[in-house]
Amino acid sequence: MIPSAMVSSTETALESLHHIKSTEPPEWLVPKQELSQAVRAASKLLFSSLKPYCPKSPFDQLLTEGFDVEQIWQQIDLQSQPLLSSLRREVKKFEKHPEEISKLKDGGVGGGEKKKKVLEQIETDNVVNDDEDDDDMDMDEDDDDEEEEDEEGEEEEKERGTEEESENEGEEKGGIEDKFLKIKELQEYLEEDEAREFGLKKKKTKAESKKEEEDTEEEGDDDDEDENEGSEDDDDEAEEEEDELGLFDGNDEEDEDDLENARYEDFFSRKKNKSSKEKAKSRDMLEEDSGSDDEQDVDKRKDGPSKHEKELDKLRSKIEEMEKANLDPKVWTMRGEVTAAQRQKNSALEVDLDFEHNVRPAPVITEEVTASLEDLIKTRISEGLFDDVQKARTSSSKAPREIKELDESKSKKGLAEVYEEEFVQKTDPASALLTFSDELKKEASMLFKKLCLKLDALSHFHFTPKPVVEDMSIQTNVPALAMEEIAPMAVSDAAMLAPEEVFSGKGDIKEEAELTKAERKRRRANKKRKFKAEAAKRMGKKA
Amino acid sequence: MLRRNIRLRREYLYRKSLEGKERLLYEKKRKIKEALEEGKPIPTELRNEEAALRQEIDLEDNYTSIPKTHIDDEYANATVRDPKILLTTSRDPSAPLIQFVKELKFVFPNAERMNRGSQVISEIIESCRAHEFTDVILVHEHRGIPDGLILSHLPFGPTAYFGLLNVVTRHDIKDKKAIGTMPEAYPHLILDNFKTKLGERTANILKHLFPVPKPDTKRIVTFANRSDYISFRHHIYEKPGGPKSVELKEIGPRFELRLYQVKLGTMEQSEAQIEWVIRPYMNTTKKRSFIGNEPEPDDKRNRNKA
Repeated sequence: MIPSAMVSSTETALESLHHIKSTEPPEWLVPKQELSQAVRAASKLLFSSLKPYCPKSPFDQLLTEGFDVEQIWQQIDLQSQPLLSSLRREVKKFEKHPEEISKLKDGGVGGGEKKKKVLEQIETDNVVNDDEDDDDMDMDEDDDDEEEEDEEGEEEEKERGTEEESENEGEEKGGIEDKFLKIKELQEYLEEDEAREFGLKKKKTKAESKKEEEDTEEEGDDDDEDENEGSEDDDDEAEEEEDELGLFDGNDEEDEDDLENARYEDFFSRKKNKSSKEKAKSRDMLEEDSGSDDEQDVDKRKDGPSKHEKELDKLRSKIEEMEKANLDPKVWTMRGEVTAAQRQKNSALEVDLDFEHNVRPAPVITEEVTASLEDLIKTRISEGLFDDVQKARTSSSKAPREIKELDESKSKKGLAEVYEEEFVQKTDPASALLTFSDELKKEASMLFKKLCLKLDALSHFHFTPKPVVEDMSIQTNVPALAMEEIAPMAVSDAAMLAPEEVFSGKGDIKEEAELTKAERKRRRANKKRKFKAEAAKRMGKKA
Repeated sequence: MLRRNIRLRREYLYRKSLEGKERLLYEKKRKIKEALEEGKPIPTELRNEEAALRQEIDLEDNYTSIPKTHIDDEYANATVRDPKILLTTSRDPSAPLIQFVKELKFVFPNAERMNRGSQVISEIIESCRAHEFTDVILVHEHRGIPDGLILSHLPFGPTAYFGLLNVVTRHDIKDKKAIGTMPEAYPHLILDNFKTKLGERTANILKHLFPVPKPDTKRIVTFANRSDYISFRHHIYEKPGGPKSVELKEIGPRFELRLYQVKLGTMEQSEAQIEWVIRPYMNTTKKRSFIGNEPEPDDKRNRNKA
C-alpha cells in the first residue's frame, strides 16, 4: 500500500469523488489500487463533513490507512448510530411543531446552493452503480450513498413524517439507476400519469399538498401495476426531488386557478357529455360511444376515469348487452318445438342434443366382463354343474314277458281233475278254461278297442263306425254233455215222467233234499203200503 | 302326413283348452300332498274329493304330476330324438355373412348349412318338416356384420327373434394357428341368469338346439344373461393340474344376443300369436329386466346392509 500524504483537503477529496464518478462501471470489477485510494479519500471527506452533526463521535476523522474494510465500516457505523437517533428525535419534534420547519427552511434556503450541489453529486453517484463489485469498494460506496441519503432524508422526513420509506429508498436508490433506467425519464412519465389520474388535484400548499400527494401517490402506486417495486420507491424519491426543486423554485401559480374551476363535471364528466352526444347516435352504438366518449372526455380534460367510473362502465356495458339480447329474437334452441324450416341449415349438427333413452345401452365387452364370464365358466366346470338337455325316460315299447311262476304249494285240484281238464281241452277246444293272464288280456284288448273307436271318432272328418256283424254262433264255455238233462246215469228214459204227467202232479215233485221229516215218513209209509199191496196181489194170483 | 298334422293340431288345441281345469286339479292335489306331508288336516273344501284325488296322486309319476302348459309342449318330445338344425341366411348374403354361418354350422352339432338362393320361407319350412328337421336358423346382416338371428322350432314350435351385437368371428382372428381347429363333440351347456318365466322359456329354446352330451366332453357353450343381453361364448377346457384347476381356451365366434320377440308359431306363420315382444318406448323398460335377475347394484344400500 502506498502511504498517501495525509492531505485531507476538501479539494483533493472532491477530486477523488470526481475520479470515482468518471470511472466506467466495468473497471470496478477489477481491484485497482488507485480506485481504492480514491474511495477512501472520498469516505474521509464525507465523514468529516458529517462530524459537526454528531458530537459524541469518538473519531475526529475516518482512519483509513492500514485499516481493514470491516474496521472502516465500524467506524462509520459508530458515527452514524447516534446520528440516526438524533435525527429521529428531530423529526418527531417537527411532527409536533410544524412551524419550526419553515424556520429550518429559511436556514436551508441559504444553504440550498450547497444542498443542490450535494444533490447533484448524489445523482451522479447513482449513475455509477455496481452491486457486484468487490466488497470493500461496494460497501464503501453504499455506505456513502446511505450517508448522503441520511443527510437528505433528514430534510425529507421533516416534511413527510414517514421514516421508513427514506431508509428503504436509500438502499434502493443506490442500486436502481443505470444506463437503461433514467430517473429523469421516470419523472416525466410520472408527471404525465399523475396528471391523467388526478385531474385538477394540484398541490395546494407546499406541505399539505406534498403530504397529500404522498398519500395519493401511494394509492396511485398501489393502483398502477406497471411500476415495479424497485421503481416505486425510486419514483417517490424522484418525486421528492422534483418537489424539493419545485419548492425552491416557488412553483405555486398554477394551483389556485385550477382548484377553483374544479367541478363535479370534471370528475364525473360522462353524463354531461353523453347527453349531448348520445341523442345523435343510435342505441346500438351505445357501447362504442360511451367508450369513445369516455376517451374523448379523458382527452378533453386530460383526466383518466376513476375507479368508480370504470366499474360503472362495466356494469353499463353488461346491462346494454343483456337488454340487446332480450330484444333480439331467441336462438332456435331456446324456442321450443322447432322444425327444420325454422332453423338454419345444419345447425342441429352443431348443437349437443340430449335424448333420454329408455333402453339399456348395449354392453361394451371389456376385459373385466370377459374375465367375469370366464370365472363363471370355470366355477361351473369345476363343480360340474351344467344345464344340459336331460334324456327323457322313454316308455318301453315291448310288453313285459310273461314269467311263468312256479307255485310251491300243493295244488288244490286232484289228479283226476287234472286229467279231466286235459280230456276236455282235447275234445272241445272252445271250452278250454282261460288262464288269469288271458283274462287280463281280453279285458285290455276290449278297453283298447273302445278307446280306438273314440279316437277315430275324434279324428276322422267323416267318421263311419264299424258295421255290427251278427253271427249266429252260440258260444258256450261248457262241454256239450252238460247241455243235456241233469238226470243220473242209472235212471232210464222209461222211468222218467212225461211233462203232462209232471203237470198233473203224478210223480214226486219235491226232491229228497227238499222234504221235511214228516214228509219223508209219509213217503216211506206210502211206499210200504204200495209194496204190501203188490206183494198181496202176487200172492193172490199164485194161489 | 296331412292327417297326422291335423291330429296333432287338434290335440294341441284340446290340451290348451284343458289347461285351466288341469291347473285347478293340480292345485288341489298339491294342497292335499302338502297337508299329508305336514300332518295337518286336509282343507275343508277338498274333503269330498279327497279320496279320489289321493288315489290319483298315488298313481302319478314324475311326468304326469307337473301340469303341462301348451306353451312348452313343443319340447315335450324333443328329448327323444337328437335335434337336427338347418342354417340359412337372408337373400344375397355377403361373404362375411357366409363365413359366419359356416362357423355357426360347427358350433351346433348336427347342423346343415344351405344356400338361400331365391327360396321363399314357407317353402323352406315345408321342406324342413318333410325331412324331419327340428329347428331352422336364419341369419341376417347389415353390410357384412351379422345383426339378426331368427330361430324356429319346427313342428309348429315357437320362433325366437334375436338381434346380434358385438360379433367377433373366427375369421376375424387372422392367426389360424392360435385358434386351432374346432372339435365337434357334443358340448356341455351353461345357461346363466335365466330366472323369469320368459327367461326359462328362452333357456328352453336355446337348450334344445343341442343334443344330450357325453359327461366327459371338453367343449363348453355358454349363454350368460347380463341385463337382458345374452352373451354367447364357446370354450374348450383343460384340467392340467388336478380336478380343481381349469384352463379355458376360447374358440368359436362370440356375440351378444338380444331377444326382441317370441312367437307361438313358425317363421312363416305371420298371424301366429305373439308370446312376448320388446317394448322399448315404455317408460319403465329401463328399470325392468325381462329375462333374468339384475345383480344388486353395489351402492349405499349394500354398504348399509353390511
